[in-house]
Order: sequence, then structure tokens, then C-alpha cells
Amino acid sequence: MKKLVVLFLVLAVIVVIPAVESAFAAGDEPGEYLDRRAVIWNLFFRMMTIAFVVGAVVSGTMIWQCWRFRESHPKAKPTPYEGTDW
Amino acid sequence: MGGHSNWPEWIYVGVVIALMVWVGAEAWEAERLVEHVPADAKIIKVMGQQWFWTFEHEDGTKEIGELHVEKGKAYKFEIESKDVNHSFNIHDYVILMDAIPGRVNTVWFAPTDVGEHDIQCREYCGLIHYNMRGTLYVEEPSS
Repeated sequence: MKKLVVLFLVLAVIVVIPAVESAFAAGDEPGEYLDRRAVIWNLFFRMMTIAFVVGAVVSGTMIWQCWRFRESHPKAKPTPYEGTDW
Repeated sequence: MGGHSNWPEWIYVGVVIALMVWVGAEAWEAERLVEHVPADAKIIKVMGQQWFWTFEHEDGTKEIGELHVEKGKAYKFEIESKDVNHSFNIHDYVILMDAIPGRVNTVWFAPTDVGEHDIQCREYCGLIHYNMRGTLYVEEPSS
């Protein structure tokens, strides 16, 4: 449990706090207009990058699991609940 | 189950939560930025009705089907509808806001280049919806 708390604390420090800080700091310069096209399209491209990376990792993990844990894999071993009749 | 470890699962859960928080923060930040209307933005009242757009500037000038603005200035649209739901869209400037009867929706922008851009209705609003169009003229600033 202690290790979990430490893990989430580390994640908070490296991800959440910088994101919140940058959110509160930006966009308040007087007389300067932001270009909504740039903001919106930048967000779109960042989100697409994340989506494709996550999609590749998740589908890659599933494909690897199917390949690695198939019965015919050379290193396959029976799990306890599968019994000893292998 | 000797030698079994839950750590990969917990790391996976942590990474997923971190990614979701990051995506949420980025989206929230972008929304906050584009909704922050500059104090000196000029107000343009936009009225949608079947099947054309009417614009009213701060000085009372009215335009139908076309809108003239100046480069480098900020404008805040106050968008309404007289009859059914419409959606005010200037595609080139990524402006899209519903026009709803009995409600004023706002969106702002600051044109950066001189030119002409299409204005269109983006919510099906009846027979001639396809032709509920207008033109945005971005001109050099007069002063």
C-alpha cells in the first residue's frame, strides 16, 4: 500500500502538477490575441498522437499476449487451476 | 500463486490514470484559453433565421449575408436565432457555435489575415439549410 502511495505521488509530481501550473500561467497577456485555430488544431494533433500511441500499445500488448500465452508456445506452462493433465 | 506480482497491473492502472488526467488537463486548458474573451473585443450580434444570417455591429450598422471585420482586432459574436436551431460556422477560423431561439451564445475571434471566408449554417434547419451561407470579409484596419 505504501508503495502504491509513493507511485501515485510520483505520477502526480511528474504529470498533474506541471499540467495544472501551465494551465493557470498561460493566456493572460493583455492586448495579445491568441489564434484559436492554433490552439484548437494543436490540441487535436496532440490528442491524436496520444490516441494512436495508446492504441498501438494496447493492441500490441494484446497481440503479444495472444502469441506468448498460446498453448503451443514452447515456453507454455500449465497454471495451477488448469490441473496437471497437460 | 508463488512468485506472482501485481506490480505490472498497478503500473498500467497508474499510467492510464495519468494519461487521462493529462488529456483532460490539455483539453480544459485549450477550452479556457479560447473562451477567455479579450476586454477590448467588439461585439457583433449574429441572428440566424431561415435561411440567412444578419449581423449588427456595435455602432448599429447591420449587414445581411456578409460581415466586414478588420484584421488584428478582436470580435465577440453574440449568437441568437429567430426561429429554429442553427449553428454559426466560420470554418477557416474554427468558429462553431449553436444559434438557439431564446438564448445568446458567445464566441470570439481575432482575424489575422486579410481575405474572404465562408460563413455557413452547420445545423440542419430546414429546406434551404444548404444555402444558408454568408461571407466574412477581413479588411485592413482603418485606424
